[in-house]
Amino acid sequence: MAEVREKGYHHWEGQLQDKGRMFWPITRTGIKLAFQRKRFKFLFAVSFMPAITFAVGVYISERLEDFKFMAQGAERTLQVNPGFFRTYLSLDFIFFMILLLMALGGAGLIADDFRHKAIQLYFARPLTRLDYLLGKAGVVMFFVGLLTLVPALILFLLKLLFSGSFKFFLDYPWLPLSIIIYSAFLMVFFTCYVLLASSVSKNRNYVIALIFAVYYLSEIARGIFYVIFRSPYSILLSIPGNLQQVAAAVFQVKPALAVPWYLSFLVLSAFCLLSFFFLRRKLRGVEVIR
Amino acid sequence: MSIELQNIHYSYGKVKALNGVNLTVGEGATGLLGPNGAGKSTLIKIMLGFLTPAEGQGKVLGYDVRTEQKFIRRLVGYMPEDECFIPGLDAVTFTALMGELSGLPRQEAMKRAHEVLFYVGLGESRYRLVDTYSSGMKQRLKLAQALVHDPKLLFLDEPTSSLDPTGRQEILELIGEIASTKDIRVLLSSHILADIELICDRVVIINKGEIAATGRIEDLKMVNYQLYELRIKGELNGFRRELEEAGCRVEETEDRLVKVYTPPGFDRRRIFLSAARNGVQVRQFVCSQTSLEDLFARVVGVD
Repeated sequence: MAEVREKGYHHWEGQLQDKGRMFWPITRTGIKLAFQRKRFKFLFAVSFMPAITFAVGVYISERLEDFKFMAQGAERTLQVNPGFFRTYLSLDFIFFMILLLMALGGAGLIADDFRHKAIQLYFARPLTRLDYLLGKAGVVMFFVGLLTLVPALILFLLKLLFSGSFKFFLDYPWLPLSIIIYSAFLMVFFTCYVLLASSVSKNRNYVIALIFAVYYLSEIARGIFYVIFRSPYSILLSIPGNLQQVAAAVFQVKPALAVPWYLSFLVLSAFCLLSFFFLRRKLRGVEVIR
Repeated sequence: MSIELQNIHYSYGKVKALNGVNLTVGEGATGLLGPNGAGKSTLIKIMLGFLTPAEGQGKVLGYDVRTEQKFIRRLVGYMPEDECFIPGLDAVTFTALMGELSGLPRQEAMKRAHEVLFYVGLGESRYRLVDTYSSGMKQRLKLAQALVHDPKLLFLDEPTSSLDPTGRQEILELIGEIASTKDIRVLLSSHILADIELICDRVVIINKGEIAATGRIEDLKMVNYQLYELRIKGELNGFRRELEEAGCRVEETEDRLVKVYTPPGFDRRRIFLSAARNGVQVRQFVCSQTSLEDLFARVVGVD
């Protein structure tokens, strides 16, 4: 039977745990905080529109005869192959929704902790900088994963289900792995991108502006350099351009521009590495002003 | 011993914050007293492992401050000076999160969060967003998050700052109870002398990054000096000069009360002899009860 105790302070008899997953409470709290925002919930629902549309596309692709009256000439566009999955995972709308959701739910991840001096509360616990970063990264990864990895794998399963055979899987046995690899790449990239932006300012509004500005200015810079130099390598300046080049390589389809995919991969990886080192330097239990 | 520090040095760039600090803290409540900028918060941050000392070594609860910060933080509760919280969370979720991060299992963290919030007087408002809390409530919340994992040692950095007199009294009573009845050692950092005198039986006075005095408050008051309060008729200057040459510190208050702090072993008859030599009449002579304020003024060298 449970002990009946007087209200007040009592010593805790148990043993404090040395958990390996110290980051998890931070991730859980971050996800909960994001869902507390009504606008976030609405946008989160809207962001699944492409997935639903693509799912309908998968269904129609298997029932072309039934939908002939409304899908005339759509045989090519409704062809489900690796390019179909690449298109889904590198849709401008998906990238935009990731940015929008992260602006609402991710901009304050570190910025709010700086602003309200909560960092010292975290680091007064047996928590390392890596635990803290993993906790915050988990929030971004969760949402990016929900928008990319989960729908893409479901689309793959739907294709098998609607076709009623494993022929598609036997034709492209590497496709699930490609989906996982590219989604993981997107998760890592957007995590670094959002956390870096969030650690730059204490003001979440500036962070939101930064998240959109850097992304779209990179695309504008690409356009300017292309006009001046007429070189396809200007794509290396563009975040979405590089992501699409990597997607083309992972899904083994022809890239939009004749630029080696590994250059785009290197640019994005270098960005992630630099972000990681910047974040490690920036995060301290105490703000030391010299 | 809870805390043992030896020859701790720390600088912020060219500014020396701590200069060869040696410190030993045992059971009960200890006050860390010093004027603003004396190095109190820096010392606490070194003990928590936020800052690495340039020189020196130290142990907190038996763990090395340089290499075993993780173990220290598991056993220590820290109430920072700044107003800090996680926006968007209610008090119970916030406190439970802090408990979980200290190593409490999730369910236990939630249970203890409710308990400590009731204990610090936030029971009725524990489901309110912390963003909406008043300054006093935020102070209590900071105390709750420091207590949630049942620490062995509490670091309280200016716990009564930004509180009204009633709130200050209440939080001091809570801290006093924790230190005296809950078997939790407390290191209370403050520049408010009355707070330290009310709660602590030991004090460490820090000034310009150095330990100026340390020990039991009563002992320090007795051992280091004796205070006599005099009312005199006559010229003070010559009398003052002679006493100061004999090692005393002489102060005159606005209402012309003369305070004479005498060094250990000083024969009080010398005050009368000096007065007679300088043609000063001593009309009142009281061996005064020294306060922490007097001690502080003497070791820090301020009025």
